[in-house]
Amino acid sequence: MKTLAATPASHSLTHEIISGGSGLVLALFMWGHVVLVGSILTGERGFDWMATFLEDYYIAQPTVAVIFALFLVHAVFAARKVPAQLRERKRIIALAKGLSRSGREKVATRTEHSPFRPHVESMLWIWQVRTGMVMLVLGSFHLILLGLDVFTPLFGDIAGIESQTSMARVGAGLWLPYAILLLCVEFHASVGLYRLAIKWGADLWLSRSAMHLIEQIIFWTILVIGGLTLCVLAGWVDPPLAFLLEGGAS
Amino acid sequence: MSDTATARRLRFEIFRYNPEDEDSVPHTDVFELEETPFMTLYIALSQIREKQDPGLQFDFACRSAICGSCAMMVNGRPALACRTLTADLPESIQLYPLPTFKLIGDLSVDTGTWFREMAEKTEAWIHERLPFDPDATEERMSDDVAAAIYEGDRCIECGCCVASCGLANVDDTFLAGAGLNRVARFMMDPRDSRSDAEWFDIVAGDQGVFACIGMMACEDVCPKELPLLEVYAYLRRRTLGARFVAKSDRAV
Repeated sequence: MKTLAATPASHSLTHEIISGGSGLVLALFMWGHVVLVGSILTGERGFDWMATFLEDYYIAQPTVAVIFALFLVHAVFAARKVPAQLRERKRIIALAKGLSRSGREKVATRTEHSPFRPHVESMLWIWQVRTGMVMLVLGSFHLILLGLDVFTPLFGDIAGIESQTSMARVGAGLWLPYAILLLCVEFHASVGLYRLAIKWGADLWLSRSAMHLIEQIIFWTILVIGGLTLCVLAGWVDPPLAFLLEGGAS
Repeated sequence: MSDTATARRLRFEIFRYNPEDEDSVPHTDVFELEETPFMTLYIALSQIREKQDPGLQFDFACRSAICGSCAMMVNGRPALACRTLTADLPESIQLYPLPTFKLIGDLSVDTGTWFREMAEKTEAWIHERLPFDPDATEERMSDDVAAAIYEGDRCIECGCCVASCGLANVDDTFLAGAGLNRVARFMMDPRDSRSDAEWFDIVAGDQGVFACIGMMACEDVCPKELPLLEVYAYLRRRTLGARFVAKSDRAV
């Protein structure tokens, strides 16, 4: 049989597994991340207890390092699918816009047998590329900042992640890049999980519409929890779950 | 359906260009006509050609969504002109030829060359295990396998999936929906002698299923509603399996 591929076919499969696998781990990590940072919802004591626990048992340090490495690996391997030429990207954007708009016009005469099925996934792909680019910048910044927070205490007499520092930073204006990062991460991750599930198991577990619905539920749930967490960190809202730790307050 | 008293006046914006004519410049022409009950785009285009512009080029043959020749971009989405009712569309309708294929003129494109190249690249015919014996009884096949093969064979090669594919729009070597569907059809067929290891280079190569960027438009625009995304998932898992099997074979 003739060989079609310019590069060995096994490379395409390996690249696909690396980009999909790293994406899966990062997306699942972000769910855990929401719970960890969400500890601020119980108040500063909850947050500090969580941070101290993770640092004292050396969970935070390797996690930050591994996630940063995976983050960069995923960026490299996922970016190989983004067309390099501006002309090509413009072509794809024009195509995706046409596809997502058609069939959505208000047409009074439309029959129930219209062959125009709604299609949004092409536009979702383009937004995944855009959010990915934003994350590469803001995510790197966040990971380096957190890396400094958890690694410098190993070398000097400095506290690690602290609610006081975090809240001061977020309140001072870091809430804006973090809000953008939150939106980008949750969108990118939930759409990515949906696409990954379709790619490998469109015929296995759930229908595509069910998977799309689950994707949207995950996106909004995590976004609301993350948004609330950010508001508490910025000091705009009192911790809503503070009553959970009231018992030990006195 | 609207009666003549409330009939809509449809406005068609149609791409015009004849690559054979040196004086021809790509542009759009506007045509207007009154909508009639159960009008399809094919009927509307025929009327325009008959009464307004006899030079308008578009393809058709069967008028019943089986020949696959009347596919075109309808308001930004590939669709069969014969299967699309104007009632489902707004009053303003933009018609462009399918991208990714060679333009013959106006709305007419050459899908044949693309499909022939795809068939040659993938050797899309049964590779027999044994020489044909006219006296032997036919081998039996389970209903499930026969149904799965038939499902893949329903493809009419209209090119809608290729035209809607983001990757196929920028990389003309990609096998796209129709090509991958064809490969899967032969991989499922027990009469075909090719092993998964032999298929590996085609399916997993950089023109195969792992080049797919997952925009999912192919399945949404397919006029025959083929389960293309399920076909890709099948190809991905089978290729992954073949990879591990191939590795363990070598180790033994």
